[in-house]
Amino acid sequence: MKSRSSTLSSSPADQEKLRQSARDPQFFAKLNSEHLLGIEGMSRPVIEGLLDRANQFAELPKNETLPHLKGQTVFNLFFENSTRTRVSFDLAARKIGASVVNVPVSTSSIKKGESLLDTAVTLNAMHPDILVMRHQNSGASLMLSKHVDASVVNAGDGRHEHPTQALLDALTIKRTLGEIAGLKIAICGDIANSRVARSNIHLLATLGAEIRLVSPSTLLPKGIEQMGVEAHHDMMEGIRDVDIVMLLRLQTERMQGTETPSQREFFHLFGLNAEKLAAAAPNALIMHPGPMNRGVEIDSLLADDHERSLITMQVDMGVAIRMACLEAVAGARQGARQMEGR
Amino acid sequence: MSKTFFQEMHMIDPASGRDEVSSMLVEDGVVRAIGTPQEMGAAPSDASVIKADGAVLAPGLVDMRVQSRFPGYAHQESPTSLAQAAAAGGITGMVCLPNTNPVLDNPDSLTALSKPNARDDAPTPHLYAYGAATKNLDDEAMAELGLLAEAGAVGFTNGIKPISDSLIMRRIMDYSAMLDKPVIQHAEDVSLAEGGEMHEGENSTRLGLKGIPAEAEEIMIARDLALVRLTGVRYHVAHISCARSIDLIRQAKAEGLAVSCDTAPPYYMLNDVAVMEYDTRFRLSPPLREEADRQAVLEGIADGTIDVIASDHAPQDRDSKLMPFGVAAEGSSALETLLPMVVSLYHQGRISLMRAIEMASTTPALLLDIPGGTIAAGAQADFMIFDPNRGWQIRGAEFKSLSNATPFEGQPVQGKVLSTWVGGEMIYSSETA
Repeated sequence: MKSRSSTLSSSPADQEKLRQSARDPQFFAKLNSEHLLGIEGMSRPVIEGLLDRANQFAELPKNETLPHLKGQTVFNLFFENSTRTRVSFDLAARKIGASVVNVPVSTSSIKKGESLLDTAVTLNAMHPDILVMRHQNSGASLMLSKHVDASVVNAGDGRHEHPTQALLDALTIKRTLGEIAGLKIAICGDIANSRVARSNIHLLATLGAEIRLVSPSTLLPKGIEQMGVEAHHDMMEGIRDVDIVMLLRLQTERMQGTETPSQREFFHLFGLNAEKLAAAAPNALIMHPGPMNRGVEIDSLLADDHERSLITMQVDMGVAIRMACLEAVAGARQGARQMEGR
Repeated sequence: MSKTFFQEMHMIDPASGRDEVSSMLVEDGVVRAIGTPQEMGAAPSDASVIKADGAVLAPGLVDMRVQSRFPGYAHQESPTSLAQAAAAGGITGMVCLPNTNPVLDNPDSLTALSKPNARDDAPTPHLYAYGAATKNLDDEAMAELGLLAEAGAVGFTNGIKPISDSLIMRRIMDYSAMLDKPVIQHAEDVSLAEGGEMHEGENSTRLGLKGIPAEAEEIMIARDLALVRLTGVRYHVAHISCARSIDLIRQAKAEGLAVSCDTAPPYYMLNDVAVMEYDTRFRLSPPLREEADRQAVLEGIADGTIDVIASDHAPQDRDSKLMPFGVAAEGSSALETLLPMVVSLYHQGRISLMRAIEMASTTPALLLDIPGGTIAAGAQADFMIFDPNRGWQIRGAEFKSLSNATPFEGQPVQGKVLSTWVGGEMIYSSETA
């Protein structure tokens, strides 16, 4: 077991460099797109670039704000309720110098029947630089990206992808255990309805982890093995010797009520408790993207066990990751504009 | 009255087996005579003469699965736009689904739909309609099938929804058998398909879209076939799309049951990989299946298990397609692409050109006992002249249909309608279009 302290801390000199790097594209993590829509198809160097950059941002003193995205506007567009992701993006955008508009879509014209595209076109006319969107439909962020001038950052689309969550999970793992390559990681619970699972499978596989899925057969989508994972229905067997147990929330809002007989039974078979955790590697760590259903996916005591749980660190890393992502799309945008001679 | 002589053209008539250079005399809207140039001799002096080198004259297509959208949804398709789109597609007869507003569950609505242009003298493609199998298509009570049959219903169906309840289906089959009308089924188990956004498989998993398993189709067909054995009804599966469903039909035919099925071009031209960019032009019902299913559809076409190719025209307005994939409307504008898609089966070497025409014209007319599908002497002069080799590119923006959403957008195709004739009158010409 490696030390729990950061293995990637940066020196004061690094921090000074970070402050100087505003608007210098060579410091930006390189994206091959102006949009950040998903992890699938993202190369290892791009992922590592984002993680390295975020790791620098994570070392910034709490009150420090960088000027990198000064003059740029980020619109937060959350069609699905979210507290942590929206606040995290909000904070990240401010910390990197952008101005932020939280568009209250759940109370606005959307409820009056305005379509996603009408909303997009309207907002586009206000010339945001970056639109951060969460939407209940898979593919919504890709669709949005085809109809607006702004860069689109996917903050979760249906059951499809949640790229910044996967990146922050990876950063959390890197800062705790160092390398991701070679780690054994079990992703447990409601795979079928989870965008977090899909993004994490793509990302962790790209970085060379061994991924196991532990899920009831009713929550394991068809053909998932094609994504290079091993599927288990017995939790003890699935998490045997793993370094990390990554739990997912039961997405009851996306379930039809036929997938599992009861939450009690789910917890009995697939909820993580100390007994099941004993099958994992000694000192194996626990992650959960939140919000948690205590007593369903995870025993409450384990969730609060600071020796084992990385859950609060995940939230903490969210801001740094989103700073890196916003900076990267802004950089790709700037690069594209220069290419066009504007 | 009017006489037109079609001189020395390649004519194909699957009903009579004609597939050779022929001449045809049309008089007063009826094929008066058709035969080899030797048999037919020179054009009568009072006839106008039509010649078209390199073109094929064949019976107009009879499309057995069309959503008319009128009455009730004329912003998606109007009587005029539907007629123009069909004519441009070489279609001279269409059978409409009962999912209009009002639903075609009463004789008056059905009669009104079949004659939208009653006061207009200009001929248009013929409209036929299926009667609703259940009242308001609610799957709760049998509609007035007898009255609907008298009003001209050519068969019974719940349209884009299945006849789901087993007891209701049994009653409808028994009753339809008595009336000697076929039952047409959109075969999909409702609970398995509920909330589904695309075909269930590796791609739905990658895309995070909720899947509709192939078994939803298979199960419904298996149940229906058991009921066909019980009732002896003529049973037809619409837009069949899965390998094992086609096997079921193949076995049922071997057993001697009175079953038939159609498919639509997307199911043999495309597979679910098309959805990878969430393009809503590929949002169809049933969903695009995987490659093995597509291959099975092609095999079913080649070995005759699949009887008919229908367009499955389901026009949607622009706004219903400009939505995230999962909530976008299902269906495509398909009348104007039917001919090249059918002819493509000939170009791919799957079936002969005559068989292609038979599948999209002669067989559906026979199955539903409606006029059309032949250019034999005495038949109504409903036909098309097309060039099977001429290439063009599909562009939804150029459609006559009010809906321009096609899964074949931008695709280069071979096979172009040059003119369409109904009752001996030309209702479409590519030169003046």
